[in-house]
Amino acid sequence: MNAKIEPLVNDGYAGEPAKRALAYIQSQREKGSPVVGVYCGYAPLEVIRAMGAVPAVLCAFANKTVEAAEVVLPANLCPLIKSSYGFIITDTCPFFSLSEAVIAETTCDGKKKMFELISSYRPMFVMDLPQLPDQREAQDNWTVMIKKLRDFLEVTFDRKIPDDKVEAEIRETNMKNDMMNIIFDFAAVKPSVISWSELYDLTFLATSARGSHIFPLLEETIKKLEKRVDDGIFFGKVDSPRVLITGCPVGGDATKVFRIIEEAGGVIVAVDNCTAMKTFMDVIEADTDDPFAAISRRYLKIPCSCMTPNTRRLTELDKMIGRFKPDMVVDVVLHACHSYNVESHKVKEHVKSKHGLSYLKIETDYSQGDVEQIRTRVESLFDSL
Amino acid sequence: MISAGIDIGSRTIKLAVIENGNVILTRIKANSYNPLEICREILGDVKYDNITATGYGRNLFRNYYDCHVITEIKAFSVGVKKFYPECRTILDIGGQDTKAISLNDTGRIGKFEMNDKCAAGTGKFLEVMATALGYTLMEFIEAGLSAEKSTSINSMCTVFAESEVISMVARGQNRAAIARGIHETICRRSLAMLKKVDIRGKVAFVGGVAMNPCVCKILRQEVGPALFIPEEPQIVGALGCAYATYS
Repeated sequence: MNAKIEPLVNDGYAGEPAKRALAYIQSQREKGSPVVGVYCGYAPLEVIRAMGAVPAVLCAFANKTVEAAEVVLPANLCPLIKSSYGFIITDTCPFFSLSEAVIAETTCDGKKKMFELISSYRPMFVMDLPQLPDQREAQDNWTVMIKKLRDFLEVTFDRKIPDDKVEAEIRETNMKNDMMNIIFDFAAVKPSVISWSELYDLTFLATSARGSHIFPLLEETIKKLEKRVDDGIFFGKVDSPRVLITGCPVGGDATKVFRIIEEAGGVIVAVDNCTAMKTFMDVIEADTDDPFAAISRRYLKIPCSCMTPNTRRLTELDKMIGRFKPDMVVDVVLHACHSYNVESHKVKEHVKSKHGLSYLKIETDYSQGDVEQIRTRVESLFDSL
Repeated sequence: MISAGIDIGSRTIKLAVIENGNVILTRIKANSYNPLEICREILGDVKYDNITATGYGRNLFRNYYDCHVITEIKAFSVGVKKFYPECRTILDIGGQDTKAISLNDTGRIGKFEMNDKCAAGTGKFLEVMATALGYTLMEFIEAGLSAEKSTSINSMCTVFAESEVISMVARGQNRAAIARGIHETICRRSLAMLKKVDIRGKVAFVGGVAMNPCVCKILRQEVGPALFIPEEPQIVGALGCAYATYS
């Protein structure tokens, strides 16, 4: 990234998306909003916000707490799970400290079992996420789960969550997602005028924040991006290889992969993962008979690899490739993430045969020990262009 | 124009020099704890107009010499494409890493797979096993070649395999058969990696372990006449660097 370009969100937290999100959550708590911790993109945030609460993402991306976690958890486990658990048992996670309740979805085996170990720390509501999302029963069951979440929140916080408030949150989310997508479109410009770091500054905040709180920021961001286009400001070089990232959630210490790609001369133009664009890509049907069913239908479309057969992963990738025009796809798989790892084969075949793009899978964790190995692979990928 | 290529590997440093497209010099020296000193020695009085470096020591070299750097994948791809154009697949087993590369129809890098996180399946693995069996490396290779049968080992990890071999020796099992089994293990791992990149056309077997006749014999049995072993398999990366600079 050109150090001379003023960051899009120039609030003292540029490049530190978690700190900005934390500052927002703290400010809301001070105004009386309870905080509800979530572990997943499938958590129905509209129900949480309809109660006047603010969601806090508890997924952790720091290597420093992994050692503590490995006293209890096996080393051969996803670093995100280990890091998150490590923060909790060392009582060093500010997001968890602020959370008064925790929502936990049964996404993957590792998370499911880790939730059991933390269930005594806070009131926890485990949601049974269906994994064949196109089945009618799956949508009905997830609707039931979301309504049970509402009941849990009402009891835990002694507040009511009426349907019309949920409906209002649906509309606000849709407006926010529309604006986020206008911003994402600037990454599709050739050459791209927004960096991955700036995307993260926005997506981390936009996950916790309600739309109306950040509309001014998003509008200002769009104006700044339009000015960049007018002024001819862009990232990398005109012909830098354009990289689309897919795979597991990538944040914090795992962003070493992004830095290596940039140091090798690439520019990241799209991040499919749930830490970035994934959860902003669709609308929730508004003004239906049942807002919970509408929420259920939208959320079950999120193509995480815990779903099967997850064909939407490939169709969403098709859309992203058409929109962002990458030269290659880099699939980041965290250690021990079997579902994304097995699915990478399908992604590779699809990306190569349908789109003729180069593809690289990087299996990694949060440590710095494999930086040079990753660098060799990324540089070789660029050499193959 | 004189173009040089230097491949700074874990066990050896290789130098190749090309003048007007012709190879005029190749050198190999054992690496040490001070790779820069070995680089100085190997470069000696060699005159060149430009130089490209590869291998794990390439960025260190770049801090001290005015040079271009390329990855080993690229270096071996360029070297094979230029000097052994009938080969479309490359298997490189080095001192501490292994790689398989397939080239597409235009000779550019198609697929590649690397094992650079673990000593299993590398030259290091063979050295450790030779010592565990009480052989020098040459004796170990001879034993493998002459063995009438083969005892397979189960451990994939070099450290655990060493323990397993020591236990076998302590139980009086035939050392030559174990040596053969170890060579077969390394070939099996290499073939598995080759299959991931697709075997196309001839397979150039390069890197230090390509000088091991026992590995070559077993691989040839599996890959058949498609296996091609250059006269100097260690130098291909440096040749690729020199040619990359030249072109």
